[in-house]
Amino acid sequence: MNGMDVDQPILRLRDIRKTLPSGRRLLEIDELSIHAGRCLLLTGANGIGKTTLLKILSGLEPPDHALVDCDGTHLLWSVARRRFRREVIYLHQEAYLFDRSVTDNVTYGLRGLGLSRAQVAERVQRSLEWAGLSHLAARNARELSGGEQQRVALTRALVLTPQVLLLDEPFSGLDEESRSRTGFLIQRLKSERVGMVVTSHELLPMSGIADEHLELHAGRLVPPTRSVQRASTGHRPREVMAPGEVAYFDTKGGR
Amino acid sequence: MDGLGEATLRALYLLIEGDGALWNIIGVSFSVSGGAILISAPVAMVLAFLLAYVSFPGRRPLISTLQSLQSIPTVVVGLLVYMLLSRRGLFGDLHLLFTQTAMVIGQIVIAFLFVVPMAHGVLAAADRRAWETARTLGAAPWRAMLTVMTELRFGLLAVAIAAFARIITEVGTSIMVGGNIESFTRNIPTAIALETNKGEFAQGIALGLVLLVLALLLNVLLGQLQGKGEMR
Repeated sequence: MNGMDVDQPILRLRDIRKTLPSGRRLLEIDELSIHAGRCLLLTGANGIGKTTLLKILSGLEPPDHALVDCDGTHLLWSVARRRFRREVIYLHQEAYLFDRSVTDNVTYGLRGLGLSRAQVAERVQRSLEWAGLSHLAARNARELSGGEQQRVALTRALVLTPQVLLLDEPFSGLDEESRSRTGFLIQRLKSERVGMVVTSHELLPMSGIADEHLELHAGRLVPPTRSVQRASTGHRPREVMAPGEVAYFDTKGGR
Repeated sequence: MDGLGEATLRALYLLIEGDGALWNIIGVSFSVSGGAILISAPVAMVLAFLLAYVSFPGRRPLISTLQSLQSIPTVVVGLLVYMLLSRRGLFGDLHLLFTQTAMVIGQIVIAFLFVVPMAHGVLAAADRRAWETARTLGAAPWRAMLTVMTELRFGLLAVAIAAFARIITEVGTSIMVGGNIESFTRNIPTAIALETNKGEFAQGIALGLVLLVLALLLNVLLGQLQGKGEMR
């Protein structure tokens, strides 16, 4: 995943197949690419398989079949998943924080990387400052508000300098201020060349963030029926959108 | 009633004056049961974790079997361990029968069969996001397992305490494989049975009081742990 050209995806999966125990084919995706510094917005109905797809991408759930492009070769998902560790991080819809301090939460993933205590402390402190969480460092993470917990979860992922972040409904259940702060952090992660896949029912908070929008429908990734697009162009669904420039409209039936 | 009152007063006197034989019996109980729970609980909890988090053929029947064995009579465990440790048994050459080690082995089996299904219940009902979060942050499986167990520490500790309460009060295995030998394998439950048979109620009541106080303390501790677990 390292040392690729700027235009090359940092992660490309092909032939992603997943069938439920009931026999229903959940995912049948021919190709999915994630690029550095770009954000893919993934929408779709409830239970359509968005979370399962993110968990497959992160290595948390095994697909029936998937190939991963690794350094010019196609590897089976089961072989390539080890390479994902710490490079592709999945964040739950409701962030799960360990029952310990904010600092300990952020430190968690750094253990076992061979860093000295001073290096770990320095990276944690820098990340907490980055997210504006320094004043909460000693607090138990479970005692924080939903928005603060979401920021701690993002910081905990950021400190590992991942190449890909998979965010499952990051704005769900947050108040306006928390959405704004979370959106700001996601934007900053993007500017630091982190590739992202974000699922969201709400398009508005994603307006200045998403570079590409796909919908999961009947197991496949298709152009969305309702999309985040530039108001002025209307037909450039893969453009980077600046805040305030967007409008929402039905791509099948106009605005 | 006079007899009971007098015996209770004598029992309290025996406890307070530090009767050597009595405290030796209490010491045997705590060392045997403490050792058994320290050995069996960690292993049982790892197995419970594997049953809760790893899919493999035969998992469901295994869980059902272990759940059924949870309430196995202690005399049956005693009989099984006796047969294994007796001279003609598989481990007869080790000459462990009627020793504290034999009692520890018997109680390990009882505690193990108690802890596995109980801990499995705690782990299976836990929030899967703990495991997924640990794994996505790069934790190896064993570390992620420890993280999940740490998250569930109050529930799992409550299971261990309940198991300790079960084995320190059991009489079947202890008497069968320990032999109730004075100052060696005589523990609280076997001593109570013996003293009652002899008509020596004072020592039986004194030991019963120790068990009652222990049960009370463990219950208070369990209540506090459950309260902490529910708060989180």
